[in-house]
Amino acid sequence: MDISFALTGKGYVIVAADTTAARSIIKMKVDEDKIKVISPHLLMAYSGEPGDTVQFAEYVERNLRLYQIRNTHPLRPSSAASWIRGALASSLRSRKPYSVNLLVGGYDTSTYTPHLYWIDYLGTMTSVPFAAHGYGSYFALSLLDRYHDPEASLEEGLATLRRCLDEVAKRLVVSPEKYKVRVVDKDGVREIEL
Amino acid sequence: MSIMEYNGGSVIAMVGKECVAIASDLRLGNQSLGISSHFQKIFPMSDRIYLGLPGLATDVTTLKEQFRLRLNMYTIKEEREIEPETFAHLVSSTLYERRFGPYFIEPVMAGLQKTPSGAYKPFIAATDLIGCLNFAKDFVVAGTASTKLFGVAEGLWEPDLEPEDLFETCAQTLLNAVDRDAYSGWGAEVYVVTKDKVIKRTLKGRMD
Amino acid sequence: MAILFQVEYALEAVRKGTCAVGVRGKDVVVLGVEKKSVLQLQDPRTVRKVVMLDDHVCLAFAGLTADGRVLIDKARIECQSHRLTVEDPVTIEYITRHIAGIQQKYTQSGGVRPFGISTLIVGFDPHDTRPRLYQTEPSGIYSSWKANAIGRSSKTVREFLEKNHKDDMSRDDAIKLTVKSLLEVVQTGAKNIEISVMESYGKITSLDLSQIEAIVSEIEREKEAEAERKRSRLAATAAGQAAMTQVVSGTGEGSGQ
Repeated sequence: MDISFALTGKGYVIVAADTTAARSIIKMKVDEDKIKVISPHLLMAYSGEPGDTVQFAEYVERNLRLYQIRNTHPLRPSSAASWIRGALASSLRSRKPYSVNLLVGGYDTSTYTPHLYWIDYLGTMTSVPFAAHGYGSYFALSLLDRYHDPEASLEEGLATLRRCLDEVAKRLVVSPEKYKVRVVDKDGVREIEL
Repeated sequence: MSIMEYNGGSVIAMVGKECVAIASDLRLGNQSLGISSHFQKIFPMSDRIYLGLPGLATDVTTLKEQFRLRLNMYTIKEEREIEPETFAHLVSSTLYERRFGPYFIEPVMAGLQKTPSGAYKPFIAATDLIGCLNFAKDFVVAGTASTKLFGVAEGLWEPDLEPEDLFETCAQTLLNAVDRDAYSGWGAEVYVVTKDKVIKRTLKGRMD
Repeated sequence: MAILFQVEYALEAVRKGTCAVGVRGKDVVVLGVEKKSVLQLQDPRTVRKVVMLDDHVCLAFAGLTADGRVLIDKARIECQSHRLTVEDPVTIEYITRHIAGIQQKYTQSGGVRPFGISTLIVGFDPHDTRPRLYQTEPSGIYSSWKANAIGRSSKTVREFLEKNHKDDMSRDDAIKLTVKSLLEVVQTGAKNIEISVMESYGKITSLDLSQIEAIVSEIEREKEAEAERKRSRLAATAAGQAAMTQVVSGTGEGSGQ
């Protein structure tokens, strides 16, 4: 099962997701990118049913791009997250719902604030200072309760993320070996090597 | 596992003397795992009507948006604000529309109704998940702690409480009931609606 | 010969619309449009005749603006839908064919009327350096061009382009030809001209007023120089002729001196 984390700090959001693609007990791939850059200041980590995840992420990506072309400016993170939630909620009551869990992190360029949303496949959405999906959440959330600081610098934020990853590596039987980490801030999105 | 208990959360509404109170907890969980302690379940529908939506969290958001739409359409078409009793029927019919594939929400509403003489009469109501209305004269409860809320409210509530006393009664009922419920808690918020103001207070609660 | 009156009416709407010009150069394609002057209190940004369909496709239209908006939205949806289904951006020919297909459909379905617009579609295909220029019409016809014009006085402009278009023009030459051809029908000069230049896949710039003004004054200078040359040549001819008559008359009157 996929593991993803995200946390906010002073003017940024860090999003991290493991890079393994597995089928039952077999690792098929170890460099899968499960974080999509959906607009210049918006990131989405996705996990869940293989197949659904990529399909849904691309569906979201294309629709948000269409919005940007139609209206010349992109949706702000709160509106984008709300649209994505709506897509999942209507999918839930359709014939074949998407089983996708998301962490949507973005930087609002008009209010200069970072935003993070925890969204599950039911369409449950909540704005949070830090979040996790998958088995990692059982270890990381309590850790983040203790160490998270919304005013932390990027270096401190990454150190906190490191703690989460280390804890998972230490205690989880099936811990992943690699993570992809992306940051979004006023300058947009960039990847970070841990 | 029941869908109604998947995310947890509880709401209570009480009648006072020319005032009403409505209160909810702030927890959002994934079964036993807590996700957020800032998940609001009570939404203002007009200056004098408040709606609590305990139940499945995805439907909390969906219904909140749906009621905002329907209420705006009503206000524009009728050129007046909706009355609590009318709103209760709007809630009921919205839920019954999904009779055979319901929203997993048991709404609770509280408001002040205008009487022909110009005074305001307290109004509370609740429905089940398919919109069966229950107009009560004292208090209504819903959510994962509903059984506990019944017990505490039965002991604490009395008729014709003044706003501040009603606040204390409602807040204490909720806080003590959710402490006995694993799926509710993590803070609370209380609204007291009186004829000329609304008091909103956010309360701290046990974080376990 | 069968004539669909509704399509004729649509073409009439196109002929009344403001002029748009497209010119293909060596590795550049330019779109120029005649801009109706906006009213004093109007926001000029809300009146657009050149729009993006995707990162690499631009469209200009002439005719009923309201119809244009609807067609553009359909095209934009198709651009994203195409990327979603086959992971590739549309080719310029594909999106042109799609737009023309929609226009054709509206000439044959019940309860609808044709789109009262012609379009010029420009861009670069993915992984290709050749500039593209296409035109569509209300009937659903589409065609590829080296340079073309649609809208008011498009015939005059097209004839001008036919005379002056050269293959493999540079960026500056293509822009200049576009402006020059528009000046044939736009009396008011630079402030009523809008120019968009696409130089490669996804690289689009629109010229600002001062840049267009510079090109217009350059063109005027050239025209002036040309006229001056003509005048002096004319004067020279006239002087020559005068001299000849003088010589003739001189010999005739010579006895008088």
